[in-house]
Amino acid sequence: MNKVITINLNGQAYQLEEGGYDALRAYLDGAARRLEGNPDRDEIIADIEQAIADKCRALLSAHKTVVVTKEIEQIVAEMGPVEDASGEAPRAAAAGAAGSAKDPGATRAGEPSAEPGPARRLYRIYPEGAMLSGVCNGLAAYLNLDVALVRVLFCLTCFFWGFGVLLYILMVIIIPPARTSAEKSAAFGAAATAQEFIRRAKEGYYEGLKTFSDKHAHREWRRRFKDEMRNWRRTFRREMRDNAYRGHPNWAPGPGPGPGAWVMLPLVSLLHSALVFLWVCMLISLLAKGTIFGLMPPADLPVWATILILFLLFGFVSWPLKALRHACYYQASYGRSGAPPVVWLWEVMVWVAFAVALGVLASHHFPQLKDALQNLPDVVHDAVDAFRRWWAKP
Amino acid sequence: MSVNEKFLSIRKGLLEFLLLKIIAADKVYVADILRQLKETEFATQEGTLYPLLSKMRREKLLDYEWQESEAGPPRKYYQLTTRGRERLRETTEYWQKISGTVKDLGQPL
Repeated sequence: MNKVITINLNGQAYQLEEGGYDALRAYLDGAARRLEGNPDRDEIIADIEQAIADKCRALLSAHKTVVVTKEIEQIVAEMGPVEDASGEAPRAAAAGAAGSAKDPGATRAGEPSAEPGPARRLYRIYPEGAMLSGVCNGLAAYLNLDVALVRVLFCLTCFFWGFGVLLYILMVIIIPPARTSAEKSAAFGAAATAQEFIRRAKEGYYEGLKTFSDKHAHREWRRRFKDEMRNWRRTFRREMRDNAYRGHPNWAPGPGPGPGAWVMLPLVSLLHSALVFLWVCMLISLLAKGTIFGLMPPADLPVWATILILFLLFGFVSWPLKALRHACYYQASYGRSGAPPVVWLWEVMVWVAFAVALGVLASHHFPQLKDALQNLPDVVHDAVDAFRRWWAKP
Repeated sequence: MSVNEKFLSIRKGLLEFLLLKIIAADKVYVADILRQLKETEFATQEGTLYPLLSKMRREKLLDYEWQESEAGPPRKYYQLTTRGRERLRETTEYWQKISGTVKDLGQPL
């Protein structure tokens, strides 16, 4: 038994369940919003109400005087979202600024999107304008930045021990590609204007932020904590340095990185990055085709076991390279508390440049790489499913 | 709905043309139009149709008149104006011209 609300549709009274009323109210409000600026708005709304009334009347009879929520939802689905035919109002209403609805040609992707404000969503945009697989592209659309800028920033994240590459592959897997036109327009989404924020606030978007005061105190505490830690670290370092001079003349700083280190270090790291690249290629080819560059793994070895073996092999082969690298660093840091940062910077720069160049070259010459990267999410899911099935086997 | 997505722009462009043709054939009301389109590729919804019809009326291509119906409130019956017929004729010529182009250009159909 539900509450019933009586409404007026074009001069006739209809009784709807409470849930149905809410659904209908939302639909008509959405229509009114999308038709803002349309000179015939009232008439169109009246026509729509009439059409809804006709459909309701078809469902009523002497024994049934109330329209239930499910029926209202069906009616709303049949009617479809109200699209402003002139195509101007939706975008302009979202952008809101000058309040004038006469802003044609403001549609981004050229799609006839009827939504004035799908909340902005993060998608990968592939293949329009994508370089490798559309991660930076989609990110740029979400943040409203230039794509090149986002790509540069992304490469900079590679400075942290190649983290960027792993992050990139993770993003390829996690972020969904925008396929339908609705998703594509959502990727560019409602602009971050005052109008949009007001709309979101009205729809309860920000309800979760109500615990402001607690967060403020928490943030204060964190900031103070970080300052303390920073000061402690600084005094610690200073004391260590002083002690080194005072107590142990043997520990005077050594000659610094010898000339050999400058050359060997980048070479070693180049080799290392080449190895990493090779390993990633093997991994991808294994996941995509089930073979490693044409070599079939032993027949009944499940995929995940091959991957594990690959990991181990990689660790084994790269161990001497890693040892060499550490030796160079050690030589460079003889007598200091650590290698001078310039050594590390030099190595990372060379590594990043080489890795990125190799990656871009490869993707240009081997279009299969791009496709493989596109298939990666599906392939990973397949692999996960296969593992799950194997695990579930009795 | 992936098939529909692919040719959405073609259908959107032709919808107005089809509406002119349907309304030229006979005086119709909206539910009638929807019924005629339902069996075709151009099946559409009230939410799309009402704003489109109102735009065409603003451009003076159509006009409507209220007619009483037996069961229920009066309905709007649409018909073409002279300007509407003119537009229909132009569009039909254009359509025949471009359909000739589509047939002859490039790979033979």
